[in-house]
Amino acid sequence: MNLQTQNSNIAVMDADSHLEARNIHVWFKERHVLSDVSLHFPTNSVTALIGPSGCGKSTFIRTLNRMHELIPGAGLAGSVYLDNEDIYAAGVDPVTIRLRVGMVFQKPNPFPTMTIKGNVLAGLRLSNRRTRDEDELVESCLNRASLWNEVKDRLDAPAGSLSGGQQQRLCIARSLALAPEVLLMDEPCSALDPGSTRRIEETIRELSSDMTVVIVTHNMQQAQRVSDQTAFFLAEEGQPGHVVEFGSTDNLFSSPNDPRTEDYVNGRFG
Amino acid sequence: MTTLELLPRPKDAAPWRNRSKSLLTKIALASVLPVVLAIAIGKAFGIPGPITLLLVFLPLQLLASGLAALSTRGKRGVADSQLNVAVLFATTFVAIMLGSVLFSVVSFGLNAISPHFAYQNNVYVTSTTSLEYGGAGHALLGTVLVVGLAALIAVPVGIAVAVYLTETRGRFRGPVRFFAQSMSGLPSIVAGLFIFAVFVSTGISRPAGWLASSALVLLMLPTVIRMSEEVLKLVPGDLRSAALALGAPQRKAFFLVIMPAAKTGLVTAILLGIARIVGETAPLLLTMRVNPNTNVNVFSGDMSTLPTYIFAFLTAGFDTGRARSWAAAFLLLAVVGLIFGTARAISAKSIKK
Repeated sequence: MNLQTQNSNIAVMDADSHLEARNIHVWFKERHVLSDVSLHFPTNSVTALIGPSGCGKSTFIRTLNRMHELIPGAGLAGSVYLDNEDIYAAGVDPVTIRLRVGMVFQKPNPFPTMTIKGNVLAGLRLSNRRTRDEDELVESCLNRASLWNEVKDRLDAPAGSLSGGQQQRLCIARSLALAPEVLLMDEPCSALDPGSTRRIEETIRELSSDMTVVIVTHNMQQAQRVSDQTAFFLAEEGQPGHVVEFGSTDNLFSSPNDPRTEDYVNGRFG
Repeated sequence: MTTLELLPRPKDAAPWRNRSKSLLTKIALASVLPVVLAIAIGKAFGIPGPITLLLVFLPLQLLASGLAALSTRGKRGVADSQLNVAVLFATTFVAIMLGSVLFSVVSFGLNAISPHFAYQNNVYVTSTTSLEYGGAGHALLGTVLVVGLAALIAVPVGIAVAVYLTETRGRFRGPVRFFAQSMSGLPSIVAGLFIFAVFVSTGISRPAGWLASSALVLLMLPTVIRMSEEVLKLVPGDLRSAALALGAPQRKAFFLVIMPAAKTGLVTAILLGIARIVGETAPLLLTMRVNPNTNVNVFSGDMSTLPTYIFAFLTAGFDTGRARSWAAAFLLLAVVGLIFGTARAISAKSIKK
């Protein structure tokens, strides 16, 4: 593989890294599943991670807020820097990292025993923090997740009464309530209809004015619509997943350097 | 644009319920014929009722349903009909058994029960005392105290162990689970003997309520642990991830997210634990004996509970004693019903806020 090309692509985006992964390797038990991933995410950028199923995108994204280590048998080498501090350094509390790096999961997972309002405020309660005006926070978070208008009259209804798309936007609002610096989204639209997907994409664009966003997606159009830069992951047979190409979204989709990237973004495999 | 009219629902808006006349005839024949034939055969050969039911009626009913199913739905229907008959027969059998137990307890119990039975003790009760005097109030109180103390210890410990088994990656999960499972096979009298040997034989304590509670804790713990573990395992991993990704420490994630999600199940676990011990008799007779008088001090002196009261009067050998036993059984049933009803109502209450 032509490392030179890769590095020149990376160099373009190098200024002002907010979050940076350096030489990440991942193992599950003895199996090497992700090899030497180095990516950086500039402040307030949106980065899309694309690639076929099972190539390690979701695994990688979970290393960025230390959720990876909760999987039994997980192993990791390499480092992740958040504002130039290694989040895997000895003595770093994963809880503080997860407060700064929020996460939205593939399947909507609101807390079923709480109301809509309770879900938005759950992060505060779970991390023992207070806010001066709860109602204001609830409204602003739901607004930013473009859910407010649909739920403002039933904030005390159980979260389970919402539709799938609404539940996912509620989960986004729940993450926003903690004002994270980085938001990780693991295929947030894979279970949603086109209307909800469009609204979540709008939300992502708005969030990127003051937040660094990393989004895993299987949808090429979505990657092109929302992201500034894109990384293409691939796991070839018998090999661990790795990054084939990383660069600005425009370049990667219009003039990819690697033939495999070209095949993938044009739908010829995967 | 035309507006659509809102139609009222017709009575027969369930076409899947429609049955042809021939099918209805077959069903009627298959339900009536076996009964009639079984009665006739039973009478003709003078076979006792229960044997007729099991050896004449059941095979006839299976045969009739099988034939009816064969003619209407083919081979696949036969298996269905046979299982249906078998299950219905068994269900009815169990329902009758349960009904008869309830009926005896209520009808015999009501003979001797009266308001004073629930609060008086039986200090002056002898074989000649009329049922207008004395009661099982002291035993009722004893049940509440001894079972309550046992639950007070076994519930927090049991749930804590279940949390250790499901929420942590502790190194001793395997052995702990193994011991909890082995403990569930412990015969109750052995639990009683164990406590007796440790505390009474060694002279540490005279028989007392807290010893009985200790024996009951040994019996209640495995039930609470295993049930709580199963219930906590059912909480989706998604919720755990969601809570932890929000920066929650594990303790907070458990108390604010996982426990509320498992609340109903945990209440059931506690109820099953209490159900396991509330009727125990043998270990109590060993560890706190019986006492006709009221004793509210679980740390000293003999006590009675409803099961030991029942045992004592059943074995006393006089008619009013047996009547008192039935009344106490009725009282025990009422107490258990009350506990279960309240707990169900609490856990079913919808979550607010």
